[in-house]
Amino acid sequence: MTKACRYGTHRVISPAGTLPQPAYKLDNTMRIYENEVLIDVKTLNIDSASYTQIKNACNSDAEKMKQMILSIVEERGKLQNPVTGSGGMLIGTVKEIGNEFPANRLKMGDRIATLVSLSLTPLKIYSIEKLSPDSDQVDVKAEAILFESGLYAILPDDIPEKLALAALDVAGAPAQVDRLVTEGDIVCIIGGGGKSGILCCYQAMQNVGPYGKVIVVEHSKENAQRIIDMNLATDVIIADATNVMNVYNKVMAVTGGRGCDVTVNNVNVPSTEMTSILVTKGQGYVYFFSMATSFTKAALGAEGVGKDINLIVGNGYAKGHANLTLNILRESKPIRELFEKIYT
Amino acid sequence: MKKGNKYGIHRVIEPKGVLPQPANKLDNNMDEIYDNEILIDVKTLNIDSASFTQIEEQAGGDKAKIAEIMMDIVAKQGKHRNPVTGSGGMLLGVVEKIGDALIGKTDLKVGDKIATLVSLSLTPLRIDKIKEIRSDVDQVDIEGKAILFESGIYAKIPDDMPEKLALSALDVAGAPAQTAKLVKPGDTVLIIGAGGKSGMLCCYEAKKRAGVTGKVIGMCHSEKSTQRLKDLDLCDYVFSGDATQPVAILEKIEEITKGEMCDITINNVNITDTEMTSILCTKDKGIVYFFSMATSFTKAALGAEGVGSDVTMIVGNGYTKGHAAITLQILRESEKLRKVFTELYA
Repeated sequence: MTKACRYGTHRVISPAGTLPQPAYKLDNTMRIYENEVLIDVKTLNIDSASYTQIKNACNSDAEKMKQMILSIVEERGKLQNPVTGSGGMLIGTVKEIGNEFPANRLKMGDRIATLVSLSLTPLKIYSIEKLSPDSDQVDVKAEAILFESGLYAILPDDIPEKLALAALDVAGAPAQVDRLVTEGDIVCIIGGGGKSGILCCYQAMQNVGPYGKVIVVEHSKENAQRIIDMNLATDVIIADATNVMNVYNKVMAVTGGRGCDVTVNNVNVPSTEMTSILVTKGQGYVYFFSMATSFTKAALGAEGVGKDINLIVGNGYAKGHANLTLNILRESKPIRELFEKIYT
Repeated sequence: MKKGNKYGIHRVIEPKGVLPQPANKLDNNMDEIYDNEILIDVKTLNIDSASFTQIEEQAGGDKAKIAEIMMDIVAKQGKHRNPVTGSGGMLLGVVEKIGDALIGKTDLKVGDKIATLVSLSLTPLRIDKIKEIRSDVDQVDIEGKAILFESGIYAKIPDDMPEKLALSALDVAGAPAQTAKLVKPGDTVLIIGAGGKSGMLCCYEAKKRAGVTGKVIGMCHSEKSTQRLKDLDLCDYVFSGDATQPVAILEKIEEITKGEMCDITINNVNITDTEMTSILCTKDKGIVYFFSMATSFTKAALGAEGVGSDVTMIVGNGYTKGHAAITLQILRESEKLRKVFTELYA
């Protein structure tokens, strides 16, 4: 075994000097370096943007889709869609652990899901066992490498694999809510009715305690009703988050003009930055989880209205995020039932 | 006086329901002000450099044409938001009138000389006459009036330094002020793009707050700015590197910090693809402050997750309470910096 870089740069073939994600080609030789883990891969959970692109390019023909996936991995040493740039995650079993991989974390035979993107994971596919154009989960015979810095979750025995995966996919959001929200806070969750929104609401309700408020802003009536039925908020506002003044006035009405201590933005449409900024009180926090967030709109927007608030870029990783998220599924029967119905 | 909205929505003519910045047209009637507004007698417009360059090119460098284009923008929009670049700038003027609702609440009085620190792209403006265009510094002297909203930020121009020097520092006041608030004694701080205007101010504040037990590392690109920063003697360590090369910079920082990495990384460099460098040089649970407008939100968010880094990433907010005072104080405290700023920017 050879000593290697924590971030996996020793696997980069081209261009030299880049990290594995932006790299064009990775070395997918399945002999591990001393700080790596070898995974016997069972299922690829392909990112939905990537899977849709592959499906459209192949006219939903399963055989052609298989060919396309194989050829991407053949060429790049990883399953990074050249059009969308995205990857996905995988499920497998630990087959070999390098001597220098952090000790006592994993053991041989553990069933794990990788939480780092397939867009940076060295992968070698031996055969595709099952691919159905309607499901982005593809069963394979394959091997993959987890780097020393790579994130993973050991799959629990008490939660079905697919349910666990659906929740782990957005594990960063509720974990960050847990860090930011304290007792008595007023919290606004914009886009509270989606997958990550629901988990955030649950965690926020736990943290604010009996004197705090959790205000959900949700566009869809159906999603809003669900939040009310599951008792995941103290107040629910049905509104379009891009309509700044409307949302601002409604949130101010609920908070008695105080504004919110913490605002979490989960809504995947552009131009909701100003709404998030205005409903937050001075010295408060806005946590942007939406990938549709524009950096400049947030930065210049806060300055334009003279708001001294902390604008935070959502980090999909926080220590302990997988456990916290799986625990929500264990604690909340309604959320578990809902996720089982929708996502599995 | 009529009652106004804190953010100036009452001045928006169209489209209805938006804030003054995205609005196409603002009401710039200054004969009567709302009760929470401040009327400014404008002396100088400091046009955003992207905006001024565009106008200058469109006019072929002809000053009469530049004046014509500027008058036309304000006539159409009631504010000076460049229709091509979308940007504004700031202005210098004297307080002429203060709305009833602000009396006793604001620290301003009639006759105070101020610079607005909110963009011209959201400031109601009327230009009566263009007096002088100074193309080399993007400044235009005018006769005219402007409105500062209740939420609008400003700085009083101090008596103890030249106007231009104060303006050049106020332009980037957010960065050093946020540095002052973030950095604690004993911290190791990396400043990327340390040789530029806001970078130098950040270095000064970082060293002041980190103290003798802390360490400030300044990273510059060009040889010239590296030498300048070394001469200023603000940092414990200065080196030259390319911020778009994460692996090389990571190794350098590992060496300097003996593998400890940085508590706080402040990114001031206005080029793309420097997110990963900032993330990798920061220790777990550390803070990355992105001041660069070239930062990509998704590259930062997905990048940190991709390398399993539990850092807090903050979007640089140009405003924080007291930012003007903190920044002007630097120029009073550091004679060397004041000299460099006077030479380069004033």
